[in-house]
Amino acid sequence: MEQTTLLNILVILESVLLLVISVILFSKTRNLTKLKKYEEEIIKIKAKKEATMGDFLPILVHELRSPISVIRGAADLLMKEANGLSADQIHTLLNQIKSSSNTLLDLVGNILDVSKMESGRFEINKSFNNIGTVLKEECSYFEPLAKIKNLTINCSIDENIMNFSFDAERVKQVLSNLISNAIKFSPDGGIITVESKKVDSYCQVSVSDVGVGIKDVEKPLLFQKFYQASNQNGIKRGTGLGLFISKGIIEAHGGKIWVENNSPKGSRFIFTLPMN
Amino acid sequence: MAKKILFVEDDEGFYNIFSVPLKMKGYDVVRVVDGNYAVEKIIVEKPDLVLLDIVLPGTSGLEILKELREREETQSVVVVMLTNFGSDENISKAMEYGANDCLMKYNIVPSELPDKIASLLGESQNFNVKVMES
Repeated sequence: MEQTTLLNILVILESVLLLVISVILFSKTRNLTKLKKYEEEIIKIKAKKEATMGDFLPILVHELRSPISVIRGAADLLMKEANGLSADQIHTLLNQIKSSSNTLLDLVGNILDVSKMESGRFEINKSFNNIGTVLKEECSYFEPLAKIKNLTINCSIDENIMNFSFDAERVKQVLSNLISNAIKFSPDGGIITVESKKVDSYCQVSVSDVGVGIKDVEKPLLFQKFYQASNQNGIKRGTGLGLFISKGIIEAHGGKIWVENNSPKGSRFIFTLPMN
Repeated sequence: MAKKILFVEDDEGFYNIFSVPLKMKGYDVVRVVDGNYAVEKIIVEKPDLVLLDIVLPGTSGLEILKELREREETQSVVVVMLTNFGSDENISKAMEYGANDCLMKYNIVPSELPDKIASLLGESQNFNVKVMES
């Protein structure tokens, strides 16, 4: 009897021990599985980053090579065919050299801006300015381009917004990016609306279009470096730096930038600037 | 009658530097900016040659080329792809879809383009012939 009881106790003890060992092993396995999952995520993120950089390089090369090819081509024509060119053609070619040089400078400037933003060295130069004037200037600048696609740019200024301190050149850069995107992604004959309004202690500026809109899944990615939105045919254009830089500029002011749907169709990009 | 070239190109710079020498050599150059209207314009204008960029707003030059070769009325039009995206994949696709030639914008010198076009159109080129007198 005593022996049987002892045996039973031993069996029970053994079972409990086995159970404890199983639980320990199971929890270790779960931790290992978690670790493996983290490792896989890190590998995925690293690969995505490398792929993005790898994808960006051909685009950057294309964006650099295009204006350089045009400058070289125009110079070649002026040198070899000067006698045969009309005054208008000479003017067109010289203008083209100037325009392509500006494009190159802008691109180099963008790359420098991105580098400064990422290293925390990006600075803005604030001075007292009128946001209405800045909006009107940018809208006027883009009117000829908008006309090519029969687009109308409506500029609506809140006259109650007094002058306040902001970097006018940098805010123009943001507006330029948003308005040129609106033109790029709008169908012929649409309307682009640029407006300012006072919201609490902020100046809120929005650029709306009636284009194809932005898929919800793309919205969180739009302001990321190198992200290129697709047009209605899925064709990607540009370097993917414009919105990233715009975000950097607005955040350097202490403001915010985001995108909403423009009902019933299109997109509305909004940014705020503190008016302190 | 001047030969007609239809140039599908959205970049103002490239259009200017390539159309100027072509016009100087007497070609009639018609421009299309938006790829969506290219096929329609080619059918209406009946050009002798189409210069076609690959990256375009609206659609891709390769898709336009494919459609041109599928349509009876544009099957035989001479098409030259003119692009900055000179990847092997793009070039082989262009030739597979039936392009007559593929030129890299960054390689071709604008003043030499008319001679290239002339040879594709089977026109005699201007040669400088030196006559040796004995």
